[in-house]
Amino acid sequence: MISDLQNLLPILAQGFGTTLAIFGLTLLFSIPLGLLVAVLKMSKYKVIRYPVAFYISVMRGTPLLLQIVAIYFGSYYLSQSAGADFSFDRFPAVIVAFSVNYAAYFAEIFRGGIESIPKGQYEAATMLGLSKSQTFFRIILPQVLKRVVPASANEVITLVKDTSLAQVIAVTELFALAKKQQAVYASIFPLFVAGIFYYVANLILSVFFSYLERKLNYYR
Amino acid sequence: MEDHILEVKHLKKSFYDSKKGREIQVLKDISFNMKCGDVLSIIGPSGSGKSTLLRCITQLETMDGGEVRVCNKNMVVPGSNPIRYAPKADLAEIRLSTGLVFQNFNLFPHLTVLQNVTLAPIRVLKLEPHSARIRAMRLLKRMGLESKARAYPCELSGGQQQRVSIARALAMNPKVLFFDEPTSALDPELTGEILKVIKSLAEEEMTMVIVTHEMAFARDVANQVLFMDDGVVVEKGTPEYVFGQSQNERLQSFLSRFSQNG
Repeated sequence: MISDLQNLLPILAQGFGTTLAIFGLTLLFSIPLGLLVAVLKMSKYKVIRYPVAFYISVMRGTPLLLQIVAIYFGSYYLSQSAGADFSFDRFPAVIVAFSVNYAAYFAEIFRGGIESIPKGQYEAATMLGLSKSQTFFRIILPQVLKRVVPASANEVITLVKDTSLAQVIAVTELFALAKKQQAVYASIFPLFVAGIFYYVANLILSVFFSYLERKLNYYR
Repeated sequence: MEDHILEVKHLKKSFYDSKKGREIQVLKDISFNMKCGDVLSIIGPSGSGKSTLLRCITQLETMDGGEVRVCNKNMVVPGSNPIRYAPKADLAEIRLSTGLVFQNFNLFPHLTVLQNVTLAPIRVLKLEPHSARIRAMRLLKRMGLESKARAYPCELSGGQQQRVSIARALAMNPKVLFFDEPTSALDPELTGEILKVIKSLAEEEMTMVIVTHEMAFARDVANQVLFMDDGVVVEKGTPEYVFGQSQNERLQSFLSRFSQNG
């Protein structure tokens, strides 16, 4: 068993690298995109608000698995029928799918946070002559950040586990590699080890988020 | 007319009442003038339109009719009907000459007391951070709060928070300072400290408009009192006149209700 582990760990660690890359890049793109989508969803113009609401409802209403497949294969068929020759590589397709999916969830969290800021904060900022963007970035957003940390932590932890969906288009992340090793060893032990990887990663994230919450607790 | 710092003429404002399904006129025809250094207190029953009046003059609400001039600048194009507001630059200039102290303070909870007071002077008036801080500390000292400069609003009592919000408004050097029921959210024993601050501002000839339910204060600090009921100015004059000589029935019944309720 120990020697199995010695063979397994380097292989799984490699897959975990891919998992971390999906995780990190998804957060990098989906958080700013989610903020933008949240702001657009609150637009006073229906032409903006309605399509954004539709986008969010599709992203949240269909499986991420399907979205990955749709972006990878769909983009190819679409560009073919348009007479172009475009297709995503597997990894970028995964990043795009994860980013637009998670952006929808983050958008709803951010929107809730923005709408929970009392109207008086905007009025005080207005009376002091602050511009709209100064009000948003200096008064509203810092307070929103504090309020969205617990809900965002949930999403981030779910994302760690969701990365395993990337194997649907044969991206060799942690879970895909563990499954291959399951066949090699004819044992579920590799899957079990992969589970420990996910668990430890999320343990670290949980500690980080409770630290962040405490850190942001300097005001009420 | 030139020496008027604030002129309000025939101001009208309606809200759509979704329960009743029609427009409700909350301000029917409000006119008054103020000279530099005047202190005006506005009294009247709840729902009489006092706060809405302040919010229209400070541009937090739009008005439907009438004219407002602050420091001889027109907020709406004179004689326009339906009214047209002045160009944005003019409105911004007017806004900077008015300050508002809210009932619920509306301090920025994520910023320290000092940051609350220096934010707008630095970002809007483009003051050097260093000189903005010196000015802010002077104001905080005046409010008896220099030791709280590094505290966050949640660490302060209601009375202290309200004094910070007065300092924050004063830091912008407003020509007219408006108070929207500045003591209503405070415990009774904390109202005194706010009233003292406002009184000291009055002694320095700060032009102020104060919506209040503190009758004794309205009488003591103001040199003009305006009694509103049901969206109209019912009585207007010196405190001696409004609280002593006026025989107006609505005013009499309002004041007697007040002395009964303590």
